[in-house]
This record gives sequence, structure tokens and C-alpha cells, in this order.
Amino acid sequence: MTAPLELVCPAGTPAALRAAVDAGADSVYLGFRDATNARNFPGLNFSRGELKQGAAYAHDHGAEIFVAINTYPEAGNLDPWHRAVDDAAALGADAILLADIGLADYAARNHPDLRRHLSVQASASNVEAIRFYHREFAIKRVVLPRVLTIGEIAALNAQVPVETEIFVFGGLCVMAEGRCALSSYITGVSPNKDGACSPASHVRYEERGDELVSKLGDHTINVFASGEAAGYPTLCKGRFVTRGRVSYLFEDPASLNAIGMLPELMAAGVTAIKIEGRQRGKAYVSMVVGAFRRAVDAAAKGEAAPPVDLGAVTEGQRQTTGAYRKAWQ
Amino acid sequence: MVSAWPFGGGERKITGSKHPAPPLSPILLAGFGLRLVPPAVLRPALGVAMAAMKRRHPGVFARLAELGEPSYLIDPVDLPFVLLLRLEREAPTLTAASGPEGFEATATIRGPLLVLIGLLEGRLDGDALFFSRDLVIEGNTEAVVALRNAVDGAEVDLLSDVLSLLGPFAGPARLAAGGAIALFSRAAEDLETLRTAIIAPAMRRADAGIRQLDKELGALKRQAPGGRRR
Repeated sequence: MTAPLELVCPAGTPAALRAAVDAGADSVYLGFRDATNARNFPGLNFSRGELKQGAAYAHDHGAEIFVAINTYPEAGNLDPWHRAVDDAAALGADAILLADIGLADYAARNHPDLRRHLSVQASASNVEAIRFYHREFAIKRVVLPRVLTIGEIAALNAQVPVETEIFVFGGLCVMAEGRCALSSYITGVSPNKDGACSPASHVRYEERGDELVSKLGDHTINVFASGEAAGYPTLCKGRFVTRGRVSYLFEDPASLNAIGMLPELMAAGVTAIKIEGRQRGKAYVSMVVGAFRRAVDAAAKGEAAPPVDLGAVTEGQRQTTGAYRKAWQ
Repeated sequence: MVSAWPFGGGERKITGSKHPAPPLSPILLAGFGLRLVPPAVLRPALGVAMAAMKRRHPGVFARLAELGEPSYLIDPVDLPFVLLLRLEREAPTLTAASGPEGFEATATIRGPLLVLIGLLEGRLDGDALFFSRDLVIEGNTEAVVALRNAVDGAEVDLLSDVLSLLGPFAGPARLAAGGAIALFSRAAEDLETLRTAIIAPAMRRADAGIRQLDKELGALKRQAPGGRRR
């Protein structure tokens, strides 16, 4: 039996944290209830007290807690981000997820013993960038952007002095993580600065005849026909008319699912796999974490993953292996 | 297209598109009986449910505090009434009405009753229900997302929460509820069998039609210029 992949799981509430731990998470990532993390949604995330209790629950069950502080601080208003780092250290976090260079420097100087991971929001996808973060801020692990093939991940792992973590399930971005400004063009709010892509405050759904219309601000993002599976109202997953043809210009609504690729990921030298979805409910967390727990344990024993259908919880009820098996240039 | 509310009565009209088709379930059948009951009769039961929520899950209201005082129209599409949830800071209330008329809701949430209860208890994933179109939301999406996140984080167990208010009667009430749930499950299974039997001939015809269309499409593709030829 080889060492199993570490299973890193999302939690948007204390209930979801317990669901993740109970379903077999090795570690749980979460954020504070403010703009310091990239899932700053209404009613979601953790107070300081909830983090303390959640960390105790996780540690009692042999799991770790990672705190995402992965937005870019506002110029002249660094305090909320610095406080988030200080509080994560004080309240029992095992690691923090960072994207901003200044914040990485602050954490390295003030909390040298607190493990630092590089968030996918930093978009570090080549050897030189990763070596820089390791050299300057002693980053221990990098969450790789969802742009690399399995072969590219293997080649990268052979050359970098840090662990790598990759997404294996959940929502997909258009491969410009940490640099995407589509949401802010329409709403003035972006995941990078405010922690919310296509914020719910700007989203409207309308039933028009048998169709479901999704709007972001005053712009129609999609029109779903009767019975057609719906997707999120993000610009990157919008269906638009260009040159008289209706199509998804950037990306189809679909979720990443690499549950069948775990042996390949192990062979590529990946340390940890990550499930997306801090904004999802505890039913999603239980179902997806449980399925991946069984698949990870089977892969470690050299066995095939138990069959499981996660189609119902995927966006647009469609699944893809994304760039891991890239069929385009 | 406007169609009459299936329970008759005429006081309530629904637009087919705005209401997910109610599933054939014991709830739907119970609705036939409930249409004779004035919504006001439900007031004590809803008051008890709300009191249990406030006592057992104060965190729900704390998470929603930043939204002000939103109000929700919750529409179980298989029942002949709607629920009106007003999250006023001092005294949040849950009441029933025969329709949405006169109620200015911040947002509307529509779905079959069991789906709505599953959401409340966090047993069902709200995003998945939205993707499958089993859940319809309208109005202020932020208020809906906040409510979903707040209740999902609360670990609500509707039966236990309500029973907790009954003191010494909780034990017998739990036994009675267990019996009712078993009866309900049996009735739901029977209805599902009935539904499958009713639609089976139509499904067979549809499958045969799809197979024939696939065959014809394949033939057309082969005949098209540049198409594969055997």
C-alpha cells in the first residue's frame, strides 16, 4: 500500500466542517466571515469563535484546519487581512492559504511557525514562480491552477521543492484564477478583491414562459429551456449570441470530476487533492467527501475506485476532467 | 400559460412555468383535503415550529442579521397554501395564507414540500436542486442565499425540534410520529409504483420513438456530403 493522497475538503459553516470531518476529510479549509477569503457569500463562513470550536472538533478527530486568507488586501486597509492571519494563528489553524505577496511576507515575518500554503488565487503555474514563493516566504505547499495536464503536473513536481495540491471536484474557473476581472466589469465586485464572483446581490432569476432566465446586473447571462439543467450565473459560463449563433463563449457549465484519475495523480507526485465548494451545503460535503474518501483509500491499496454517481451535484449536471486530460491547445 | 390550481377553489392561479410540477406523493393527496382547511388553522402549529427554531437555533437569526429584516414567500407547490416568513428582528413570524396576494416578499422560494423540508434540514443540496430545476427562486437572490446558508449551518431536525417543546409528552409524540412516518413511507412507495405503472406505456412509446429517430439521424449523417460511409 502506498501513502494515500491527502483529502482537503471545503466548509462554509461549522455544520459543514463536522460533515466533512465525519465523512473522512484529512483537512478542512474555511474562511472568516469577511472579504479576506474568496467565498465571501451572505450567511456563510466562520466567526472567530466558530473557528476555535471547529479546529478543536477537527483536531479531536485527527483532521487539520486550513484558513483561506486568499483575497488581495485593499490598498490602505491592510488591517482586516493582518488580523485574519494573526487570529488564524491564535485559534488553532494548521495552515493558512495565501495569495498576496505582501500578506505572505507579513505571515512569514510574524508567524514563522504557521504553515503557509499558496492559494490557487496566486495562479503560480510554473517552476520559477513556485520556487520564488518557496524561497522568499517558505511556502510549503502550492495549490495548482486548473490549467495543467497530468504530464505537466508530473514534470513540475519533479522540479519544485514544495508539495502540490490540486482540485479534483467542483466548480471550474476559466483558467485565470486570481486574475479574472469578468465579475467586476458588471458588478464592481470580484473574487480577487471582495471574495465574491457574481455576487448574489447582483443576481436575478426570472421565469419567462417555460424558460429560466439568469441575469447579472442588467445583463442576461443565460436562458435555460424547459427541463434543461441550470448553471451558475457567472459571466464565464454565460451563453451569448455572437454572429447570429448562440453558444457558450468561454466555458460550458460543468463541474470538474477527476475521481477516476487518482492513481495517475499519485504517480504524478501530487500530495493532496482538493474538493471545491465552500459555498455548498453539508449534504454536498457529505456526499462528495465520502465518495472521495473511499476512492482515495482504494487508490492507496491499488484497487479501483468504488462506482459512484456524483452527477446530481455537478453544475449543469455535467462533468469534465478539465485540463488534466486536455484535448485542446 | 395560466392553469387552474389543481385543488380547485379558484382563489389561486398558477403559471405552469413558475411552479415545478408537484410530484405524485402523499403530500399532494393530503393537499386535496387541506384545501377545505382555512390557512389560519395552521397558525398554532407554525407558531410552535417557529418557537422551536428560535430556541434551538438562534445562530440562524444571527447569520441573517446583516440582511436587515427580509421576508420570504415559501411556496410548497404540492399544497394549497403558501408560507410567509417575516424575519423581523424582535419577533420573526411564520404564517400561512391561501396565496401570495398582498404580501411583499423580499424573495420567493418554490418547490415540493419534502424538498423544502430537506433543504431546511440540510439533507438536500440547494445548488443541485437549482441545477435540476426542482427549486425555483425569484426576487432578491442574496436573501435566498443567506437563508439557505444560515439554515444549512444550523443542523435543524424538524421533528426533534418540535418534540423538544412538548416536555413529558415528547416520548409518546415521538412514537406516534414514528408510526406516521412509516405509514407515509409506505404510501409514498405505493404511489411511486402506481406512477410507474401509469406512465410505462408512454415511456415505451417514447423510447421506441427515440430509437427510430437515432436510426434515421445516423442514416442522414451517412448520406450527407463528407459523412461516414460504410
